[in-house]
Amino acid sequence: MELTRRQILIGAAAASLPLLLAGCGFAPPATTSGGGATGSGGSGATGTLTFTTWGTDAELAGFKSAIDRFQQANAGATVSLNSVPYGQMFTNIDAQLQAGNPPDIFRVPYYTFGSYAGRDQLLDLSSYLPAGFSDAFTPAAWAAVQNRKTPYGVPHHTDTSVILYNRAALETAGITSIPTTLDDAWSWDEFGSVLQKLRGSLPADKYPYAANWQGNGVTRWLSWLFESDGAFLNDDLVTPAIDSDAGRKAVDYTKNFFSSNFVPQNNSVKSTTLASDIWYAQTSAMVSAGAFLVPDATSTLDFEWGATFSPRNVRSAGDFGGNALVATKATANPELASAFLQFVTQEEEMRQFCAGASLLPTRADLTASGIDFAVRPELSPVFVGQASSVQAKDSGQVTSPSMSKIITVLQDQLEQAFVGGQSTSDTLAAMTSGIAAATAGS
Amino acid sequence: MTAAVGLGAGAAAAASAAPGTPSAAGARTASPRRRGRSRARETLAGYAFLTPNLLLLGLFVIVPLVSAVVISFQRTDGFGTGTFTGIDNYARLATDPVFWRSTINTALFTAIVTPLSMLLGLGAAVLMNSVLPARGLFRSILILPMAISGVATALIGVLVFDQNNGVLDKLLKFVGLPAVEWQSGGAAAFASVVIVTLWWRVGFNMLIYLAGLQGISPGLYEAARLDGAGGWQRFRFVTVPLVGPSSFFLLIMNVIYSFQVFDIVFVLTGGGPQNATSVLVTYAYNNGFVTRDQGYAAAIGVVLLVITLVFTAVQWRVSRTRDLVD
Repeated sequence: MELTRRQILIGAAAASLPLLLAGCGFAPPATTSGGGATGSGGSGATGTLTFTTWGTDAELAGFKSAIDRFQQANAGATVSLNSVPYGQMFTNIDAQLQAGNPPDIFRVPYYTFGSYAGRDQLLDLSSYLPAGFSDAFTPAAWAAVQNRKTPYGVPHHTDTSVILYNRAALETAGITSIPTTLDDAWSWDEFGSVLQKLRGSLPADKYPYAANWQGNGVTRWLSWLFESDGAFLNDDLVTPAIDSDAGRKAVDYTKNFFSSNFVPQNNSVKSTTLASDIWYAQTSAMVSAGAFLVPDATSTLDFEWGATFSPRNVRSAGDFGGNALVATKATANPELASAFLQFVTQEEEMRQFCAGASLLPTRADLTASGIDFAVRPELSPVFVGQASSVQAKDSGQVTSPSMSKIITVLQDQLEQAFVGGQSTSDTLAAMTSGIAAATAGS
Repeated sequence: MTAAVGLGAGAAAAASAAPGTPSAAGARTASPRRRGRSRARETLAGYAFLTPNLLLLGLFVIVPLVSAVVISFQRTDGFGTGTFTGIDNYARLATDPVFWRSTINTALFTAIVTPLSMLLGLGAAVLMNSVLPARGLFRSILILPMAISGVATALIGVLVFDQNNGVLDKLLKFVGLPAVEWQSGGAAAFASVVIVTLWWRVGFNMLIYLAGLQGISPGLYEAARLDGAGGWQRFRFVTVPLVGPSSFFLLIMNVIYSFQVFDIVFVLTGGGPQNATSVLVTYAYNNGFVTRDQGYAAAIGVVLLVITLVFTAVQWRVSRTRDLVD
C-alpha cells in the first residue's frame, strides 16, 4: 500500500501521543506489589515505593545511597526515586494528589507540611512508628511534623540561617571581634553598631548586609520575631499573636535596615534577586544564609569568608528550615513507606546525608555530638549551634495548615513596611487581620 | 480523480438498476445522488481529519475551561470537594485592590507592548525586505529571541536589569548617567518588563510582516513611484494597507499574548516591587498555587478569558473589512 504524506504524519502523531503525555512530568505511580512489609527499618520489608523529591546533586546522591542501603537491608523492597525541579515539585504533587495517583513518599519543607497534613492528604504514622520513636529527635524537629499532635512525617534534616561574612570587609571597618559561640552572639544593639561601622567604611553602592527572606524564605523573617521571644500564632495555631511588643521590635528593627541603607533596596521580601547573589558579588559584606550554601560558596568565591551566629535579642533563635519526608495517605504500602522513613532517619543515615549535603541533623544525638560537613567542616559547629536555638514553640507554629496563606500575608505586609513606607502599627494590624483571615475555618 | 471514479461507478449502478433505459438519461437521474454521496464522503473525510484536533482541543482546552468556570464558583484548596459559594469569588474581585492593580497593569502592558512591538516589527521588516547588506544575518539576529524560552529571556533580563550589578546600570554609570532602580522603583521595574518583552516579541512581529511584505507586488510600488509618491507616501498608502491582514493577525496575537503574560514577569520582577508589575496571570498563579485559593484563582482566569474574548470579538467585527489582498 502506498502511504500519502498526510497518512504518515497522522500515524506519527498518533504514535508519539503517549510519549508526549508521558513527558508531562507526571510519572505514573509505581505499582505496589502487595503488603508484607514490616514496621521497622530493618530487614523483611517488601514491595515497591515511589519517592518524589527535588534536590541538589549532593542531596540526590545522598538519597540514592540511602535507597541502595535500604534495598540491600530489605530484600524484595524497591524504591523508585523521581527527582524533579523544585519549581515544578508542588504543582506536580498537588495535581497527583488531586488526581488520586500521588507518589508513596515525597519531600516537603516544614512550612508547607501543614498544608498537606491539615488537609488529610498524608499518612498518619502513629500506628506505624515504634514506641519511643519521637525521643530520637529534638523537640523542635518533632514538633515540625505534627498536626493536631499526630505525626504525619519524619523530620529528615533541618537548616538554619547564620551570618556569613566577608572577612576583609569587616576588617576594613575595624570589626575584628566576631562571636565564636552562641552565647556570645551579637546582641541586636551590637549588630546595629556593626552595621553602622560597615556603612561608614563602605562606598555608597556597597552595603553592610543582605537578608535571605525572599520568596517563601519570608519565614526566615520570623527569626527576628522569635529572637524577641514573640510569636505569630497562639498555641491554638489559629489566633494571631503578632501584634505585640516583640512584633513591634522585629518590624522596627528590620525596617531600619532599609531606611539606614544597611541593605540594598532590592533586598526586600518580594525581590527576585537572592541575598546570596548580592553577597557573592561583594555588594554586601554580610549575608544571612543556610548551611546548604556552604559547598557552592566554597567552590565559587575567591575572597576569604567565615560564619558567625545570628544576632540575639531576648534570646537566640533561628528559622527551622529544611524538609520532612512524608508518606501519602493513598499509599498502597504504608508499612513499607513507614519502614523507609524510619530507615533514613537512623543515626548513621542522617549523619551521612547531612554531612554530604551540608545540612543539619534533626536527631538529638547528632545535634549533641555534632557532625562534620564534607566541605568546610570547621563551620559545622556554627550551624549546628544555631539550630539548637530553635525552640519547639517556634517550629510548631510554622506547621499551621494555613501557613501558605500566612506566608502571602507576611510577604505583602513586610514589602509595604520595608519599601512602601507603611508604619509599623499599620503593618502589625494588617498582619493580624490577614493571619486571622488565613486561619479562619481551620 | 476520486470524483471521476465515483461518476463511473454511479453510472454503472444506474445502468444495471434500469435495464433498457438510455445511459445518458440514467446518468442524468443519478447525478444528484452521486453528488450527495460525494459530498457525504467529503464531509466524513473532513470530520475524520478534524477529529484528532477536536479531541485534543476538547481534552486540553474545553474540559479545563469548563472546569475552571465551575471551580470559580467554589471555595476550594484543590483537595477534596469544593464548597459552592455562588458568586462570592467574583464579589471578592470587585473589592480586591491587588486584582484591580493587576488588571490596570495588564491593560497598560498591553497598550504599550502591542503597538510598540508591531511598529518596531514593521519597521524592521521593511528594512529587512530592502536591499540592506547582510540582511540575512540581521533577520537571524532579530528572530533569534523567538528561539529562546520566556523564562530564559527573563533570566537574561535579570542579569541586565540587576540594579546592583546589572550590565545596564553599569553602562549608564560609565557614560555619566545616574543608575536606575530597575528592581525597587515601580515605574522602572514596569519599564524593564516592557523592554524585555519587546526584545522577545519584535522578531515574531517582523517575521509575520516580512511574509506580508513579500506578498506585495513590486509593480504597485513602481506605479506609485510613477504617480509621484515619495518614500513615506508609498509606505503609508501602499505598504500599510496591504499588510492589513498581517496587522490584524498580529494585533490579536499580541493582545492575547499581553493579557496572558506570565513567565517574564514571574522571573524578572515576581510582580514587585509593591505589586507594580503584578499582572492578572501572576496574580492568579499566586492565588492558585501559593495560597492555594483555587476558586478565587479560577475566577481571575475566567475574567481574563472574558476580557480576551470580548476584545477579539470587537476586533473581528471592526477589522473584517480590512482583510485586503494584493
